[in-house]
Amino acid sequence: MQSPVTPLKDDFSPDLPTFEKLLDFHVRTGATAISWPHHKGESLNLSIKERKAFAEVAVKTVAGRVPVSVHVSALSVEDSIELAKHAEQIGADAIIAITPYFWAPSQEAIYQHYVRLGKATSLPMIAYNSPSYLEGVEFTGELVTRLMHDVPSLIAMKEASFNSAKFLEISRAALQVRPNFSIVAGVEFLAPSVPLGCVGSYSSAGAICPNLCTQLYDACIAGDSVKARELQFKLAQLWDLFRDQYPSSLKGGMVVMGRPVGPTRPPLPTATKERQAFIAKQLEELGILDTEPHGW
Amino acid sequence: MSVFTPGLVHTPVTPFTTDLKIDYSRYEQLLEFHLAQGAQSLAITMHAGESVSLTDQEQRAQFAFAKKQVNGRVPLLAHVSDSGTTIALERAQYAESIGMQAVICTTPYYWTPPAPMILEHFLQVSQAVKLPFFVFYSPDEMGGITLSTDLILKLVDQRPNFAGMIDASLDWQFMINIISNVWRKKPEFQLLAGNEYMVSAGAIGATSMLSGLSAIAPKLIKELYTICRTEKYVQARQAQENVAALLFLINQYGFGGLKSAMHAMGRDCGSPRPPHDPLSPSQHQTLSQSLHALPFMSKEPQGW
Repeated sequence: MQSPVTPLKDDFSPDLPTFEKLLDFHVRTGATAISWPHHKGESLNLSIKERKAFAEVAVKTVAGRVPVSVHVSALSVEDSIELAKHAEQIGADAIIAITPYFWAPSQEAIYQHYVRLGKATSLPMIAYNSPSYLEGVEFTGELVTRLMHDVPSLIAMKEASFNSAKFLEISRAALQVRPNFSIVAGVEFLAPSVPLGCVGSYSSAGAICPNLCTQLYDACIAGDSVKARELQFKLAQLWDLFRDQYPSSLKGGMVVMGRPVGPTRPPLPTATKERQAFIAKQLEELGILDTEPHGW
Repeated sequence: MSVFTPGLVHTPVTPFTTDLKIDYSRYEQLLEFHLAQGAQSLAITMHAGESVSLTDQEQRAQFAFAKKQVNGRVPLLAHVSDSGTTIALERAQYAESIGMQAVICTTPYYWTPPAPMILEHFLQVSQAVKLPFFVFYSPDEMGGITLSTDLILKLVDQRPNFAGMIDASLDWQFMINIISNVWRKKPEFQLLAGNEYMVSAGAIGATSMLSGLSAIAPKLIKELYTICRTEKYVQARQAQENVAALLFLINQYGFGGLKSAMHAMGRDCGSPRPPHDPLSPSQHQTLSQSLHALPFMSKEPQGW
C-alpha cells in the first residue's frame, strides 16, 4: 500500500499536477491502495484547506483503480473530524487516524477519540498505533477489543510499534472479536510481521523502489523466508537512508530516481545537493538504479 | 572454525527454601527436568532465575553446581552481568575456569554510562575470557539504555569472541539493523531470541532462543522452536500465539507469576526472594485456574 509524499513547488506551495503524476506512478507500479497524507506526506505542515485540496485530487486521479484512504489526524481533534467528514464527501474509501498528538491521553480518552471519529462518518476507519513517535501512547489489546465492539466501522490497524509482543497483543485481541480485522505494518517490516498475520504494509520506499517492495511482499506471502529476509535487509538499508531527515531524504531520493517532487516544508529540512549525491551513491551501491523505474 | 550455537536454551529459575536459601535438591530436580524436556543448552542464571537477587558467591556456587550436575550433557552459558565491570569479568573468568561454554552479559545495572563506557564494559568482560561472548539486550529492563549499531560493530571489530546478540527488546528495527550490518562483516555472528517471540526473530535471522517458559510449557516451547528452525514461520503462528497467551497471562501477575505457574504445574520452586512478592493464595488460585483453562496446556507435563 503506498502513501505518497506531498509534492511542493520551489516556493513550498502545493504542486497538484505533480501529485497527479505521483499517484498515477504508484498505481501503475503495483500499489494495492493509496493512503494520503501520512507523516511522510508532511501532513502536519499542511493547512486543512491544502489537505482537502490534495485529498480531492487523490480521489479524482486514482478514480477507483485502487481504494483511497485519507489520513485525517491533525493537532486539533476538531480538524480531524472535519477532515473525516470531507473525506466522505469527496468519495474516499476509508479514513485513518493516529492517537491524538502532543497530549498524553488516557486509554479512556483514546477510546472516546475513536468513538467520536467513527460517528463522524460512515466510512471504514483504520486506527494507527505509533508509540515511538507519540511518547509511548499506544493501544492496548483491551482498548482494541472495546473499540471493535463499540465502533463497527473500525476495520483495521496500522501497527507501527515494530514489536512482536505489541503486535501479538493487538492481533490476538482484534481477531478474537472479528477474524477479518486487518493489521497492516507501518513501513515495510513484512518479514517479521506477515507470519504473525499481518496483511500488508504502508510503504516508505515505494516512490523509490516499487519493484523491491512488491518482491518483498510476494516473498513473505509465499512463505519464502530466506528470500524475504534478504529483501527485508535491503529495504532496511533504504529505511536507514531515508529515516534520516525523513521525508526530505525520500524527496531527495526521488530527484535521483527522476521523479522530483520539490522541497520539504520547514521545520523539516530539504535535501541538499550534497545529500542527494550521497543518496544517489547509496542507491547505486544497493543496485536500485539498475532495477527500479527511472522517471514517471 | 566451528561456531557454538546454543540452540533452544532453557533458563532455569532458582528454587528457594522457605527461609529463602537456594534449595539445591530442588535445583537438581529442576535441571534434570529441563534436560529431559529437550533443553539444548542451559543459561545459568538469567533474570527469570533472579540472578540480581543472588550474591556473587551464590551465583558462582550455582555455576559449579550446574556444571557438576549437567556433567557435559548440554552446554552451559554463564550469565555474569553486574553493575561493576570488574565484578562481571571476574565472574566470567570463574565460569571459564570451571569449564562452562559461553558467557552472557547485559549493560551494567543501575548506571547509565555513556556509549564509550558501555563499549568498554563489554570489551573488558569479553577480553577476560576466551569463551564465546553474548550480549543480552533488554532495554526495558535496563533503564532504557539502548545499544547502537555502531557500538555493536565496534565490539565485533575488536573482540573475535563476540559471538552474538541475545535480543529481548523484540524490536524488529533494532534486530534487522544489527544483524544485517554485522553479517556483512562477520557472517557467523548470531542473533538469539532473548524470550519466546521466536517467529519474528527467526524471520529476521535468529537461530537460538532463550526460554523461561520452558519450565511451564516445555512441549509448546520445543514445538515453536522446532518449527521456526525449519524456517516455516507461517506454520509456527499458532504455537507463537499460544506462547503469547501464556506470557500475557503470567505477566499479569508480575515477577511472582512465573514461580506460581510452575507451582500450578506441580513443580514448586518456592517463592521469589524479596523485593519480589509471592502471589497471594487467591492470586495463585486464579492464575492456576486460568493456566489450566488454556487448551494447549493439557499437553504439558504435570509434576517433575
